[in-house]
Amino acid sequence: MDHEDFADEIRDLNLSYLILAQRMVQRDPASAAVKLGLEAETARWLAALPPAKLVRMASLQIGLPQFRFDAAVLERMAGEKARDELTATLHAAILAHGSQRKKTKRTGGHHDET
Amino acid sequence: MTRPESIEREAADVCLAAELIRLGARMQLLEAETSLSRERLLKLYKEIRHASPPKGMLPFSTDWFMTWQPNVHASLFMNLHRRVRQSGAAEGVHALIAAYHLYLDQIDAIGTDPVLSITRAWTLLRFFEAELVQLTPCSCCGGEFLTHAYEPAKTFVCGICHMPSRAGSSRTSAKTAISRGQKRLSAQPA
Repeated sequence: MDHEDFADEIRDLNLSYLILAQRMVQRDPASAAVKLGLEAETARWLAALPPAKLVRMASLQIGLPQFRFDAAVLERMAGEKARDELTATLHAAILAHGSQRKKTKRTGGHHDET
Repeated sequence: MTRPESIEREAADVCLAAELIRLGARMQLLEAETSLSRERLLKLYKEIRHASPPKGMLPFSTDWFMTWQPNVHASLFMNLHRRVRQSGAAEGVHALIAAYHLYLDQIDAIGTDPVLSITRAWTLLRFFEAELVQLTPCSCCGGEFLTHAYEPAKTFVCGICHMPSRAGSSRTSAKTAISRGQKRLSAQPA
């Protein structure tokens, strides 16, 4: 079996992510910070990142985009059940944009029982 | 309200007012958030919208936000607004604009129509500041929803976890009613 290291894929993903994030931050920092979950300092750094450094960052064998939510929140967002698709998506959006401090507070999956 | 002291400041206010007008703001919002005179705002409004601004008072009750569909949309907006504030990228009326853009983007991506106007969103933020309403975490899903102030959090269940029987059906039923009506018309012999 071939050893697949996904090197090109990771680089492409990083590059797309960095370019997109940079464009978003330069265009509208507030909306980029919320949509991508960036901190103000990261946003400022990204906006000023020169292309050569951007490419170097992308070639590191480390996936730069990361999941912003812990597993429990992701699970709830993906497995959202409601009467119709539209309501389910709205519910997932509200959960996603909710405050992150409940990360440690909620451990039990009460939602599954209902 | 004090008149703008510098031309630069006035120019910034005109840009701000223009953006708010494009987003559908009413005169009360413009007068409160910019230091432009009413006459200039009226002129600007007519220039952008090619119509006079709607007259009359703004809705002043929190009840609208508690009905099912507006509550879901208002909760989404409030969560977004808080995120904008937390990111530290925008303050005051600029945070309102940023959050409203995010709300419109999100609603557009979901594929439905916005329910909350920017004037409603602004009113909502003022209700929030006055502590008439608050965000309460749902005891079932953990998502934070808009409620009246001092809602007991232990027993609160959000409108989506516990959906009222006819909630969310008005739009689809209106659509089916229209298509049914059209079918009936086309079925009739000419």
